[in-house]
Amino acid sequence: MAQHSFSEHHTRALPADLSAPAFVDQWRKRALIIGVVFFIAAIVLGVFSGDHWNHFLRAWLHGFMLCFGFCCGGLCLLMLQYLTGGKWGLIIRRPLEAMTRTLPLVFLYFLPVGILGMSYGQLYSWRKYADWATALQNHEISADLAHAIHWKHAILNPYGFWGTSLFVFMMCGIYIFFLNRYSLKRDADPEPNVKFWQTRFENISGFGVLFYSIMLFIVAIYWVMSLDPNWYSTVYGFQFLVGQAYGVFALALLTLMALAKAEPIKSTFRITEQHDMGKLCFAFVMLNIYLAFGAFLIIWSGNSPEEIPWYLDRIRGNWGFVATLDFIFHWLLPFTLLLSADLKRIRKRLAVVCCIMILARAIDMFWLIEPNFPDAARNLHWSVGIFEYATLPVAMISFWMAYYFTQLKRRPLVATNDPHLAEILEPEHVHA
Amino acid sequence: MALREGTYGLLAEFDTPTQLVHAAQSAYDSGYRRMDCYTPYAVHGAAEAVGFHKNTVPLVTLIGGLLGAAAMFGMETWISVWAFPLNVAGRPYYSWPAFVVPAYEWTILYAGLSAAFGMLALCGLPQLYHPLFNAPNFRNGATQDKFFLCLESTDPKFDLNDTRGFLDGFTPVSVVEVEY
Repeated sequence: MAQHSFSEHHTRALPADLSAPAFVDQWRKRALIIGVVFFIAAIVLGVFSGDHWNHFLRAWLHGFMLCFGFCCGGLCLLMLQYLTGGKWGLIIRRPLEAMTRTLPLVFLYFLPVGILGMSYGQLYSWRKYADWATALQNHEISADLAHAIHWKHAILNPYGFWGTSLFVFMMCGIYIFFLNRYSLKRDADPEPNVKFWQTRFENISGFGVLFYSIMLFIVAIYWVMSLDPNWYSTVYGFQFLVGQAYGVFALALLTLMALAKAEPIKSTFRITEQHDMGKLCFAFVMLNIYLAFGAFLIIWSGNSPEEIPWYLDRIRGNWGFVATLDFIFHWLLPFTLLLSADLKRIRKRLAVVCCIMILARAIDMFWLIEPNFPDAARNLHWSVGIFEYATLPVAMISFWMAYYFTQLKRRPLVATNDPHLAEILEPEHVHA
Repeated sequence: MALREGTYGLLAEFDTPTQLVHAAQSAYDSGYRRMDCYTPYAVHGAAEAVGFHKNTVPLVTLIGGLLGAAAMFGMETWISVWAFPLNVAGRPYYSWPAFVVPAYEWTILYAGLSAAFGMLALCGLPQLYHPLFNAPNFRNGATQDKFFLCLESTDPKFDLNDTRGFLDGFTPVSVVEVEY
């Protein structure tokens, strides 16, 4: 590897054609086929599950959260790289922009969650038992759940849910629109005007990152945490923020490594930047376990009856098996593998780690969502419905991928009006 | 210990890292093995050019980290379970979640110390004497702005005249014979 990089003595030329290679169309076709197959499987499971499509809807929420993570997590990372600068930011920019432009599809994914899950009360118990006094009388819910629904009504009500969700989608849409628009304008600028563009992107992104973080805290509470109205955790939103960056980095690295088989990424994506991004992945792997274990340790130490049931729901009744899988795939495997400097420089191996990381996101989301429901809490059991989690999210992510590849084809794959461009074309060993 | 006598090696001085790496690579390709590059800062490709592929500092660091984790986790277990068992709010004596944070801290500490001292030890430091400091141009330039390649006399391929001729082919600033 090192011998190889040494032999590249000379500065490479920027390829004349920066558009995505033709095989991206093939990817899209494959993604669509996988999507259709798994979607049909999910429908069949939904018909046979006999639970009035409830598991289907749960799995839909699962798939929606993952796609939302890729799309808006991509937006957050896109803004972050404008703030931090760095050569990895230049090479990762166009894939991230393509991820953000999938927002319309993600919004479509949201609608069933909002309409069926919330408005019709099929997912969120605080909506289903909004009339908590009657439900309590009929012994449909416990006293503490009735108390939580009553007490948290100020936030957990349909107006709050819809208002916040639509506001977040609107604001993300505005940010995505302008970041994408200015990015093209920047490349088309006849004068480089580097300082002007850098300042403009920094000004948009600086506030944007802060704003997005706060908004994600709120929607993570609405969309996932409020499935269990009894429980609350102040680190919950931050865990989603880190989890999104974790998944987006893995996906962006996979995309770049797959695109590097052909121009223009072949001669612009150096092993140096790949190594740097591998290190960033490692950082997010650590940050993720730090938050997840920190939250667990604090609640375990506190051992208070308001908080600890959330973990018991997710550990007892065979859920410990999923929690262990989550630990292994989310931290143990990526951590031990990414420790190696060589692995981060070898594309095939790093690609395996990226796939593990994306799979880990799905396991983690399953572990977060499914035990919220009374039939599954402290009781991981086989049912037809549980297989929805293995089919519907795959279908939704595949359709999302197809859309992502379409967006990837829309623009040149390398942003050109950036001083880092000359640096990523230099040979690997120039900078010590 | 008897002092060694004779020639330690031939030291070629270059102005740029590129020349150095090129010369080192060529020397390696033509069969020289006992040689080293000396530069004021880390030069990418220099280590690879002299055939240095794998350094063992990561392994030392890993072993240090694992030792640290095992030591602290073991100590906490020993204290909490056998040496001084305390009932903390009715939790079991062996409460592993509480042990993780100190064990993690010791992993970092041991790994960091192993990396630093392991690196020094593997570099053969501290070293009080090195023949190359007999060369005046090395003393002045190696930490400033010069790049050196030394082909050592212990190499079977080393021959004072041939090797000097070989090094001259790369148009170095100078080629100096270094005594022990």
